[in-house]
Order: sequence, then structure tokens, then C-alpha cells
Amino acid sequence: MQEDKIIEVKNIKKVCRDKTILDIEQFAVFKNKFNFIIGGNGSGKTTLLNILSLVDQNYRGKLYYKGQEINKDEQNLKFRRNFSVIWQDPYLYRGNVFYNIALPLKLRDINQNIINKKVKEMAARLEIEDLLEQSAYTLSGGEKQKTSIARALITAPEILFVDEATTNLDEESIQFFNSHFADLVTDEMTVVMVSHDSRQIKELADQITLLKGGEVEITKTINNFNFELFGAGIEAPIAEIV
Amino acid sequence: MDYYTDAIFRALELIISLDPEVIQVVTTSLKISISSTFIASIISMPLAVLIARNKFKTKKFINIILNTMLSLPTVVVGIFIYSLISRRGVLGELDLLFTPIGIIMGQVILIIPLITALIRNVIFSMDEKLYKTATSMGASRSQKFKLLILEARYGIIGAVIAGFGRVLGEIGVSMMLGGNIKGVTRTITTAMSLETNKGRFAFALALGIILLSLSFLINFVTYFLQEGKDYARR
Repeated sequence: MQEDKIIEVKNIKKVCRDKTILDIEQFAVFKNKFNFIIGGNGSGKTTLLNILSLVDQNYRGKLYYKGQEINKDEQNLKFRRNFSVIWQDPYLYRGNVFYNIALPLKLRDINQNIINKKVKEMAARLEIEDLLEQSAYTLSGGEKQKTSIARALITAPEILFVDEATTNLDEESIQFFNSHFADLVTDEMTVVMVSHDSRQIKELADQITLLKGGEVEITKTINNFNFELFGAGIEAPIAEIV
Repeated sequence: MDYYTDAIFRALELIISLDPEVIQVVTTSLKISISSTFIASIISMPLAVLIARNKFKTKKFINIILNTMLSLPTVVVGIFIYSLISRRGVLGELDLLFTPIGIIMGQVILIIPLITALIRNVIFSMDEKLYKTATSMGASRSQKFKLLILEARYGIIGAVIAGFGRVLGEIGVSMMLGGNIKGVTRTITTAMSLETNKGRFAFALALGIILLSLSFLINFVTYFLQEGKDYARR
């Protein structure tokens, strides 16, 4: 296994009600890179992201993290704690914004003083420090997503998974996400991103994997990604393939 | 008519003057009901999560049995536990018949299906994203269980209160397993039955008013928790 591959999957197969929804022979996530997974509806993007982030462990095949095979049981908790996920439609728990951002740290038994400091810092970076005492149920879509981003980044994960984070947001929130996201991610972080947003792909992608019908159609690094293969510019290939 | 009006006034007088006999019956009833609700809740909570969150072959069958047991007659539970704790029963040597523990055993069996089914429905209705998010945040299995219980807390409290209401108002189990012994196993319902037969209508009526008030309070709290401001916001 190459050193720059942080996650590698081999012969992954996911079957749902006798229908194969994902069938990938080989796929890798590259360390400290923005790894984009693109494809149309039902192409298996989110399914693959769920498997890679260890959220879904009901699949066939093997998954390696830094060359080590990951078990599909509770023992992989130590690996899971190196990962974070930002969902398309985030779920916020009953309680205020502070509680939600602090939750991953509480689950790791971090000292309360450190939690207070980290939450305030993270909230400031996402410009939601005024919302910390507000109930999570009263937030707008954009505020909810900002809270979920803060919650995902608070543990400084080694790998950050992002599942179409801007799909349900208004234009203002999308602009905030696009202009701030690269700054929020540290150099040590590896990002796996499912996205339809051509601006994000254009500005951030190091590696693009195109899925079609649950299979990997093509994987290219952005430098030699042949856009002309699908037409001119990056919007065209996605639109055309989808 | 005067008889009834007079009885109502005397009943209210008994309540207002905190009649020792009334207080004793009410406290006995509350002690037994709170104990049985507590034990049943401890058993029902993990059971409900297990049924709601896991896939297993007998799940449908268990759900049907659980739903059937919701309408379990109190006397049937009474006979079942009686057969266990009477002198000839397997637990006969423990001398539990006509003791508060005997009633508690029966009441626990009576409300486990109710509390389990209600919590199961609450867990069923929880957003699937709750579990995915907990997993992605690095929650262990026990932490996920805690998060789930915390998220469902209002529904769970509602289920527990409903169970408490059921045992507080039941008479079959208390009568058959408690024996209506004054100061020991005499509950609100068994005392009401006995005192009415003895002609102490005002005393029975006083207990009836208290039972009705408690029932109202329980329903009020349940409604507030399940349909209240916070619930509507979800």
C-alpha cells in the first residue's frame, strides 16, 4: 500500500434488498488531500462515504486505515474517533448550540475547562458565538450547518467527511461555506467530500472519483483530470455524466 | 340526595383535615405504585430499545405479544403471581403473599408491557440521523444508548407516568396479592371498595377524589411533556 493512501477499500459490496448499490473493486483516500466523490443520484456516493467513515458497517469487503484492516465491530471506536462527518441535513441534539458543539469532546471525556475554551474558539471561527445559548431547534438551516461544521471540526479529526454540505443551504450560507471552508481545514486534515458544487470542486479538489451505478467510473488527480473527456470546463463533465 | 351532598362535604372535610387513615392509605398506595413503576421502568427501557433498534427473527411475534399484553386484565396478572407466591407456589417459601412486595411483583408484570410498548414507539419515531450522527461523533455503544435515552427523555417520562397511572388505579392485583391489610397493603382502590361495602361512603369518596386528582395531575404532566412547547418545536 502506498504511504499517501490513508484509507483503502478492496472489493467493497453493499447490497440492499437484493439490489447491489455499491460494488467497488478498489478505491483510496489520499492523505492531506481534498478527495472528491462525484456522481449522479443513486450512484452510491453517500453509501461509499458512510462506509469510509465507519458509520455504515453492514457491507462486504475490506477497509484499511493506514494499512491496517478495520474490524466491523465496536473495537473500531478508536479509529472512528479520528473521523468526523458533516452531513447534508445535520441532526442537532436537544439542547443549545454550545451543547451540540461540545458533544464530541464530552464523549471523549475531555476536561470541561478545555471544552469551554475550544467551543468558544470554534464558534468564533464560524461566526456563531452569539448563538451558543440558543436552542438548536430554533436555528435556521445555515446556522444549523455552521453548528454541525463546528461540531465536526472541534475534535480536529484526521479525516473529515463532508456529504453534500451545501445542498440544502441558501446562497448566503453557500458563499460562507465556500469562502471559509478551506481555512477551517488544517493542513494535517484529509477531506473526503461528496459534492455537486462545481465551485467547490474547482477550488478545492486534489483528487476526483466519479461513481456511476455504484461503481468507480474514473479516478483522477485534479492536475491530470481530463475535463475535455466530458466536455469543456468542470461543470460540463458533471452535468453530462449525471 | 342529602345523603350524597353530605357525603361529598364529609369527604372534602376528610381531605382538608388530612385524616390520618386517608393519609395512610394514600401513602401506602403511592409507595407501592412508585416502587413498581420504578422497577418496571428499569426493565422496560433497555427492552424497548432492544426491540425498536434491533432486527431479529422473532421481532414481529414479540411485538404482537407485547401489544396483546397491553390489555392484560389485572386479575389475570393477580392469578399468575398468586400461583407463584402462594404457599404451594415455587416462591411460596418467601412468604410474599399479602405483602407490599407481592403487590409490587404483580404491578411490575402488569405495566412492563405498557411502558415497553410506549417507549418502543417513542424510539421508533426517533430520527435515524440521531444514530448516524452519534456514530460519526465517536460515541461508544453505551454512549449511543445514553444519547438515545436523553433525546427521547420526554417521551420516556410520558411512558413511565402512564405506567404509574395504570398501577395507581388498578384494583385486581392489589386485592388478590395484597389482601387489603390495614396499614400494610391497603391501597386507595382496595380501601375504596372495602369502605363502600362497609357503608363508609364519605371515606371512599374522599379517596376517590384524591385518586381522580392524582390521575388528573398525571395526565396533565404527560400532556405537557408530550404535547408541550418543546415537543411541538421538534
